[in-house]
Amino acid sequence: MIWIDRVLVSKGEPGVYGEKTLQGFRVWDPYRSKLSALYYLGKGVELEKEMKVLYLGAANGTTVSHVADYTGCVYAVEFAPRPMQDLLAVAKRRKNVIPIMADATRPETYAPFLEEVDLVYQDVASPEQAQIAIRNSIFLKKQGILIVVLKTRSIDVTRQPEDVLADVRQEFGDAGLVVDTMTWILPYHRDHAALVCRKM
Amino acid sequence: MQSYWFGDVRGDEYIPFTGSTGENAQRIMESHTGMDRYVPVEWTRVRDQGIVRDREDYLDKLREICFFIAEYKIAQHYRGRDIELLQMVRMLDEMDEVINLLTERAVDWYRVQNPKFTRKYRSLSGKKALVIMKKSEIGAFRMIIVEIERMASARTSLMYEVSARADQILPNCSALIGGLVAARLLSRAGGLLHLASLPASSIQVIGAKTALFSHIRSGTPPPKHGIIFQHRRVHNASKERRGRVARVLAAKLAIAARIDYYRQEADPEFIQKAQDAIERAGVVQ
Repeated sequence: MIWIDRVLVSKGEPGVYGEKTLQGFRVWDPYRSKLSALYYLGKGVELEKEMKVLYLGAANGTTVSHVADYTGCVYAVEFAPRPMQDLLAVAKRRKNVIPIMADATRPETYAPFLEEVDLVYQDVASPEQAQIAIRNSIFLKKQGILIVVLKTRSIDVTRQPEDVLADVRQEFGDAGLVVDTMTWILPYHRDHAALVCRKM
Repeated sequence: MQSYWFGDVRGDEYIPFTGSTGENAQRIMESHTGMDRYVPVEWTRVRDQGIVRDREDYLDKLREICFFIAEYKIAQHYRGRDIELLQMVRMLDEMDEVINLLTERAVDWYRVQNPKFTRKYRSLSGKKALVIMKKSEIGAFRMIIVEIERMASARTSLMYEVSARADQILPNCSALIGGLVAARLLSRAGGLLHLASLPASSIQVIGAKTALFSHIRSGTPPPKHGIIFQHRRVHNASKERRGRVARVLAAKLAIAARIDYYRQEADPEFIQKAQDAIERAGVVQ
């Protein structure tokens, strides 16, 4: 990862969403991107040029654009039409982004487009977050990394976040995903935990 | 056999699809991938088969088909007849808020210019107040008032437009509750399909979120009505009857929304029966 004076940046064509630049690099704001926050907390995973990434919940493509700056290619899955329009605009100018308009809960609908990936990054707000990750781990190579941003409130608002996380850990374990670290991405985002897992 | 974006794979045999991008998109969207037998494709094998030249070519071709499908799906979504109505209602409701806010602010400002000005005892609606305030001597102020008036007239034409559009898209719901309120229900539900999938009890309390959650959390009395309160038969009903009218109306609306979604035409017989039932609910026995 590229840091300039403790500021996380990426190298690519600037001006995607009005991000600041620093010495010609694009500043990757931890308050806007949960993945960036994870790097600031020292729990991120090094992104490398030869990596293939599956990005679930690509939204407007802001974080996607940074991931694409670092990696070989990004399969960006988004379901909603409005953010998809923005994502297409980002993908038009970043040749290593493959925009896929599909529902992350139904991997069978986009399986024909994918290849085996080194990293799955998931940021979707859905009660089924854990299940989505498990179902999509089929695209992940052995020893590949899965990063899941969990919005514990999306799963069940009435339960304690810690209990929800414990359940998720159990579910992942049963599916052959080992949780390496679990981080509350405070102070950048509230009620969000990031799980870094490895496929066994 | 497995279907991939570039064609089919049967064992070791790679059969590239040779039709147009559109036909290929159709083929992929119709294909069913069984996930228990699925293996991600290896791009190097696609290259070795001569389907793509190199990695760059692989991504280019893949992206072409992905863009095509995404653009197609977006166009499909926006073609939904209810999507534009949704934006129109939301614009209408937000314009109402903006106009009220600006009028209130202008009145406060006008009071400073003219300390004797009051809206008391003269049934001074926002509209009439604007006419009076236009006599102000401050040029910028007058211009603002003119702008508010213009916005108000744009709002009025938008309202007619919304109402007319709702009559087309929600003929049955509009017949029961009026185009404007029907359109608001649609907007809160998030679309015609969503509205048609809601149970009557949910339709009854659309727009009463605060009351509903305070009921669920702390056991305050449940809300009797949300947006449908705006309909005269609900707010004109006596207090004891209101809940009942709202309930019957919501039940009929749930059916009406389904007719609107699936048949897309008015059903006069249903409308008549529903009107009678709602009427009966308001009658004190």
